[in-house]
Amino acid sequence: MSSTITSWGDKNPARLRTTNLIRIGFAIVLLIGWEAISRSGIFLRDVVPSLGPIALAIFKLVQNPVFYANLQATAFEIAMALGIGSALGIACGIIIGSRPFLSAAFEPYIYYMAPTPRIIFFPVMIMWFGVGVASKIALGAMSCFFVVALATADGMRQIDRVLIRVGRSFRATSLQMAFKIYLPAMRIPVLNGIRLGFGTAVVTALLAETKLSNQGLGFMVMQTYSRFDMPSLYGLLIIIFIIAGLGNAVLGRFANTAHHS
Amino acid sequence: MTLAAPSTTHAVQSQSKDNALTVDNVYKQFGANDAPVIAVDHMSFDVRQGEFVTVIGPSGCGKSTLFSIIGGLMGDYQGQVRVGNEPINGPHPAVGMVFQEESTFPWRNVIENVAFPLELNGIGKAERHERAQHFINMVGLAGFEKRLPSELSGGMRQRVSIARTLVSQPKILLMDEPFAALDEQTRLLLGDKITQIQQELNQTTLLITHNLTEAVQLSDRIVVMTYRPGRVKRIIDIDLPRPRTSDVVSSAAFGKYVAEIWGDLREEASRGMADSESHAVKDAARG
Amino acid sequence: MAKSLYIGPYGRWLPIAFGAMTVLGAFVLLEILLRVGVINRYIVPLPSEVLLSLPRIIVEEKVLARCRETAFEMLISSAAVIAIGVPIGVALYRYKALRNALEDWFAALAAAPIVLAFPLFLVMFGRSATTIIVMSVVSGVAPIILKTTEGLVATRPVLLNVGKSLKMTQSQMFWKILLPSALPLIFTGIRLGWTFVLISVVGTEFLINLGGLGQLINDLAERYDMPGTYAAIGFVILVSILFFISLERVEQWLGRRT
Repeated sequence: MSSTITSWGDKNPARLRTTNLIRIGFAIVLLIGWEAISRSGIFLRDVVPSLGPIALAIFKLVQNPVFYANLQATAFEIAMALGIGSALGIACGIIIGSRPFLSAAFEPYIYYMAPTPRIIFFPVMIMWFGVGVASKIALGAMSCFFVVALATADGMRQIDRVLIRVGRSFRATSLQMAFKIYLPAMRIPVLNGIRLGFGTAVVTALLAETKLSNQGLGFMVMQTYSRFDMPSLYGLLIIIFIIAGLGNAVLGRFANTAHHS
Repeated sequence: MTLAAPSTTHAVQSQSKDNALTVDNVYKQFGANDAPVIAVDHMSFDVRQGEFVTVIGPSGCGKSTLFSIIGGLMGDYQGQVRVGNEPINGPHPAVGMVFQEESTFPWRNVIENVAFPLELNGIGKAERHERAQHFINMVGLAGFEKRLPSELSGGMRQRVSIARTLVSQPKILLMDEPFAALDEQTRLLLGDKITQIQQELNQTTLLITHNLTEAVQLSDRIVVMTYRPGRVKRIIDIDLPRPRTSDVVSSAAFGKYVAEIWGDLREEASRGMADSESHAVKDAARG
Repeated sequence: MAKSLYIGPYGRWLPIAFGAMTVLGAFVLLEILLRVGVINRYIVPLPSEVLLSLPRIIVEEKVLARCRETAFEMLISSAAVIAIGVPIGVALYRYKALRNALEDWFAALAAAPIVLAFPLFLVMFGRSATTIIVMSVVSGVAPIILKTTEGLVATRPVLLNVGKSLKMTQSQMFWKILLPSALPLIFTGIRLGWTFVLISVVGTEFLINLGGLGQLINDLAERYDMPGTYAAIGFVILVSILFFISLERVEQWLGRRT
């Protein structure tokens, strides 16, 4: 999902103006539409709250220490899941990608397991790892593992053969080959795999938190919902979406800078 | 410059003390024993200390196989390749390879690319950059140290590869058509650069190519290969004066050498062409 | 993420057989470890028990009807994300100003864990299949939009020049050149979008205890019926694999035609 075209670097002032006009226009239409629905009474009162209370809720939320405690718990889960899932995925991907026999034997399983919804394993993970953070980390890591393993195996096969011969001609050791040639040579597919893994790991871990937990942003969503505090619920979701978007953008930036080098 | 050998020979070179590299009766076949493709058929020649030798042959004659064998990247052959008196067994530190394909690391800038072999040997950053800088200057890329390969032209990238190999200070520089992807003019100018560096370092060099001009322009001796099986057809001394520049291509002596070698090669090249055409016809018939 | 087309010195079937035997062997090993007592049987059920539970959950829990229900929600959502996503992607390609303005927004939408908003969808649309479908469509549409645009933009200029030199009309250019050349990336987008659709469908069923297989897993887990839970998980995997196999078939079929 790399957006190759972005208006930030646009040097053409006329085009930049059009871009901004369209953006502002869309934003205004969305906001007015929202407000209109809110006041029309199509939905139950409070289900679509007015913009003012939502803004106020966001303002209160970012000052609330409880929010940061929950954010920290979720961030920890995701980071652990991403670390464990990616490390295992890269290791498996290198092994499978370098041996055509293993690739033919096992890659179909990984390929078809990768997009299956991981959340259904939650009851099982609770049995294995308990109701705390460990079961969410396990789910997130499972989400990440398959995508990263596939991307790495694919990346291994696409490495320019001559770079491997260069390494051998300078008599690089196996470790040197892995860290100075294989990994940098397939950094783009691997980073893109990690980014995809991040997306599904976030969804899965947050959903698991809404189902059963006592901390994290998903837990906070359910608490807010049970109080039927709709403006806060909207505010919280907006903040979560922004954070997820930022995480994705940061990983995307990594992959893009790698692209240009 | 050496003029010791007779101008043409099929015989195994006598083993002299100043041989930097000896290719001794090397034989390599591919495929099953009942229908083998013989890539290299009992080839023997040597490269003396400080000498520039070129192996020339038509496409598909087994040049690249020979390159991989001498570089130690291909095993399972008969005969011997010796560095000095030591038989090689895998990539040898005394042999530095430059590949035909684009082989710079796209994620490293010029100086990091060139310093790569020093990094593998655990040499500290300051020292390896200093030594890399020396060879960057030598190949004429001073000022481009921080550029990435994607920001350089094909000729510049190939010079980065050459500097990267030179920095490991190989006794023997082994190059496989390093200019194959470049245009004719760049090729001539880079040839000058190579000549200059080779003379400056007194660098023993073995070049593998199919390009006649390049071979005559650069070499002290040329080994002409036959097309399948790849044998030594003839070894020719190139008796053109040094210091030599690309201007030499307009001289009469140069033309004479080119014509002479082409006379040898034409038959081989046309056999190669007929062969690949018949393969294409067979493939087409097979669907 | 193309599958390998490896046919090496071992032939086509040996690696496949090896893979299948390894998976089978892993289950047998698990069975043995469980029976010996190395792994706790209260945490992981015996694979044989899971197999034996199949008739029970098929008859008593009406698993086939539930499969149908889940598959129906998936099918509607999966079709809808394509029907909505691809035209928007084409529009973004066609109108460059629109793309400059909105592509980043769709990228943000693709990254947002929309399914987390299920409480909102619940209060708006009630506890019904509609809620699940609407949410799944919103979750899965953005990657398809982005990849469609990306694929169209990546069409090699020389192909477009060939079209122009043949004086092809706009619509001929689109159907004969742009779309076929963008197809592989569009399918990458569909695979991504469907991944999120499936998470959303099954996840919501599971979380709010509504409808098909997701609810069944929740029920069985709450009843502490471990063999049944594992078997039901197996059914979810089966359904989603069937979805992606059929997607692959469609791609191959279209690839041959264009």
